[in-house]
Amino acid sequence: MNAGGAILRAVVGVAMLCLSMAAFAQPTDTAVKAAFLPRFARYVSWPPAAMPRGSDPFVLCVVGADPFGAALDEAARSQLIDGRRVIVRRMSSLAGVESCQIAFLGSSQFVGQMGSRPVLTVTDSASTTQRGIIHFVVAGGRVRFFIDQGKAAQRGLTISSRLLALAAGVNQ
Amino acid sequence: MSRRERIHSGWRSAPIAIFGIALLILLGGVAVIVINESTYSRARVEQTQGLADVLAATTSAAVDFDDRAAAQQAVDAFRVNNQIRLIGVFGRDGKAVAGYVRDGSPIASTIAAMPPPPENDFRIESPIVQAGQHIGTVYLDIDRESASRRASRYLILLGLFVLAALVVASLGLAQAQLRRANRELASRAEALAQANTLLEEQIEERAKAEDQLRQSQKMQALGQLTGGIAHDFNNQLTVIQGSADMLARAELPDAKRIRFAQAIVQAATNAASLTSQLLAFARRQPLKPERLDLNDLIREMDDLLDRTMGERVKIVLDLHPLACRVEVDRTQLQSAILNIASNARDAMRGKDGDGGGTLTIRTSDLGVSDGKRMVAMEIEDTGAGMNVDTMERIFEPFFTTKSMGQGTGLGLSQVYGFASQSGGEVRVRSEPGKGTALTLVLPCIDAAVTPHALAAEPGAALPPAKILVVEDNEDVGAFAETLLSELGHQVTRAATGEQALDLTRANEFDIVLSDVVMPGMGGLKLAEALAKEQPGLPVVLATGYSQEIVEGGSGGRPVILKPYRLATLSEALAQAMRRAT
Repeated sequence: MNAGGAILRAVVGVAMLCLSMAAFAQPTDTAVKAAFLPRFARYVSWPPAAMPRGSDPFVLCVVGADPFGAALDEAARSQLIDGRRVIVRRMSSLAGVESCQIAFLGSSQFVGQMGSRPVLTVTDSASTTQRGIIHFVVAGGRVRFFIDQGKAAQRGLTISSRLLALAAGVNQ
Repeated sequence: MSRRERIHSGWRSAPIAIFGIALLILLGGVAVIVINESTYSRARVEQTQGLADVLAATTSAAVDFDDRAAAQQAVDAFRVNNQIRLIGVFGRDGKAVAGYVRDGSPIASTIAAMPPPPENDFRIESPIVQAGQHIGTVYLDIDRESASRRASRYLILLGLFVLAALVVASLGLAQAQLRRANRELASRAEALAQANTLLEEQIEERAKAEDQLRQSQKMQALGQLTGGIAHDFNNQLTVIQGSADMLARAELPDAKRIRFAQAIVQAATNAASLTSQLLAFARRQPLKPERLDLNDLIREMDDLLDRTMGERVKIVLDLHPLACRVEVDRTQLQSAILNIASNARDAMRGKDGDGGGTLTIRTSDLGVSDGKRMVAMEIEDTGAGMNVDTMERIFEPFFTTKSMGQGTGLGLSQVYGFASQSGGEVRVRSEPGKGTALTLVLPCIDAAVTPHALAAEPGAALPPAKILVVEDNEDVGAFAETLLSELGHQVTRAATGEQALDLTRANEFDIVLSDVVMPGMGGLKLAEALAKEQPGLPVVLATGYSQEIVEGGSGGRPVILKPYRLATLSEALAQAMRRAT
C-alpha cells in the first residue's frame, strides 16, 4: 500500500459523497410529486360519506402504473391529516376505488371511467393527457399543478383557496 | 416675635415641600407613561401575533408544497408595514421558505441560524398548522414602538420636566417674595414699635406739660383769689383803722365817736359777709338746712326784691304749685336769690345807668330723674346777656364784669357753692342782647315744712350767769370775756378742751361757750364729754369754719358763727339756757 494509492481512494470517495449529496439536495420531479400527493388531503374536504370511518386512515390509491415506488410510501408515512395516518394502496383497476379518498390515475383510460365518485383524482402530464381534478405539470423546472374546480364540485369535493392559490391554473 | 419666627421656620421647610411636589408630578407622569407603554406593548404584541397568524395561514400551502415564490409573495404583502423589521417563514425541517429583512440583508437559511431580535424588538412566533399538522413556523420581528410614538413619549417626558421645573421655579419665586414681604413686615413692625415708643415719650412729656400748665393755672387762680380778698379786705380794714384812729382822739365829740364806732361795725360786717361768701363758694359754709316751700320763700322776699331792683325793673312771679319741699339753708337761699337778682339788675341797667326791664322768677316741677325728684327756680332778666367766654367764667370767685368797687365777684360763686352743697346745681342760659336766665335746681324732700320762726323768741335778757369760755385764741377769748363781763356775767376762761373739762369738774358753771376748732380736744369732743359728765350743762359752740360741723353737724347743739355780734351771742346763750332748764 503506497501513499499515492491512498490519496486516490480518498479523492474518489469525496467525489462520490459530493454526487450523492447533490442527488439529495435536488430531488427529482417524481419524488416531489410523491411528496405532494398525500399533502393534497389537507386542502380538500370530502362529503362525510366519503370520509374514512372512525379513526381509519386516509387511503391514497395508485391506480395502474406506479411511477413513485417507495418515495410515496415514505411521503405518506410522515403525514397526518387531522390525526389520521395516510396509507398507500396500489391497484391495477378501478375496482374498489370507492374506498380511496385520493386516487393517482396512472393512465388516461381511468380518468374517463371515474364517473362522479367523490374521489380526488390526480393525474400527471408525464403519463396521461386526460386530466384528473389535479394535474401535475413541470414548468420552469418546478413541479406545478392545475386544478379543475368544476370537476371537484361535481364530485362533492371542496378545495381550499390556499391550494387554489398555488395552482398553475384553475379550471372553474 | 415668636409667631414671626414660627412662620419663618414653617417656610424654611417649604423648598423640600416644593421639590417633593415636583418629584411627585414627575413620578406620576412617568407612572402614567409606564402603564400606558405596557398597555400599548400588550396591544402591540396581540396585534403582531394576529399578523403572524394571518401570515402563517396564508403561507401554509406554499410551505407545504415548498412554493417559495408564493410564500415570498405572501411575505411581501406585509412589507408595507414599516414597523416589521423581519419576517421569516420556515418549513417543518427548519429551513427558510421565504423571508424579508427591513435593512435588505438576506434571511437566515435556518431557524437555528436566526440572530436573536434586537433589544427594542418583539419576536412573535406563529406555527403553521394545516389539518392538525405542524408544517412550519413564521417568525415576525416588530419594533417595540413607532418612531413617532417614541418621539411623543420623549416630548411628554420633556413636557413633564418643564412643568416640574416651572412649578419649582414659580413656587420658589413665590417663596422668595414671601420672605421679602416677611422681612419688610418685620422691619415695619420694628419701625412701628419705635414710633410707638416715641409717641409714648411725647405723651409723657405732654402730660408733664399739662401738669405744669394746671399748676400755673392754679397759681393764677390763687393769685386772683388772694388779690381779690386782699383788695376787699383792705377796703374794710382802711375804714376800721381810720375810724379807730379817729376814736383815739381825746377831744372827739360823742356824736362823731358813735359814727366812727358804727363805721367800724359796718366795715367788720362787710368783711364778715365777704368771708361768708368765700366759704359758701368753697362749700364749707356751716349750713342750717330747713324744710321749706320754695314758692312761700319767694313770696316772702317780694318786698325785699322790689326794693333791691329799683323802680325801673318790673318783677313778675310765675310760680307753679310744687309737689314737694326743699331742704336748704334759708339764709343762703335768700342770699343766692338776691345775688342773682342784683346781677340781673346790673345787666338791665344799661351803660347810662337808667335802663329797665323785667325780672321773671319762675318755679317748676322737673319730675323724677335718676331716682331723684327735682324742682327748679328760674330767674330770668331782659338784660344785656353774656357771650360764651363770660358765661364760662361767671362762677369763678372774684370774676366780675363790673367796674372796680361795683361788685366783689363773689355773688355767683356763692350761688354755685350753695347749690352744690345742697345737692343741686345751677344752670345758665344766655345770649348777648337776649337776656340771661339762671336756674337753681334743688332736690325734693317729701316731708312737712319746718315752721319758720322769723325772730326766734323774744330776746329776753340773759340773767347774770357763770360762763366758761373755751377759746384757744387769746384775742378772741379776751374779747368774749370782756363782752360777757360787760353784760354782768361771771366769766372763766380755758385755753383747751382738757383744761375746760378739769374746770367743770372743780367748779360749777351755768353754761359753756366753746370754740370748735382747737388743738387737742376740740369743741365737739368737749361737748360730748360734758354731756356724759354733766348732762344738765348747756354748751354753745362758736366757729368761723369747721370741717367737722359741715360734715357731721353739731349734734343738736346751738352753733354761732364767727365773727359774731354782741346781740347774736347773748341771744344764743339765753336760748341755750332756757332750753336746758
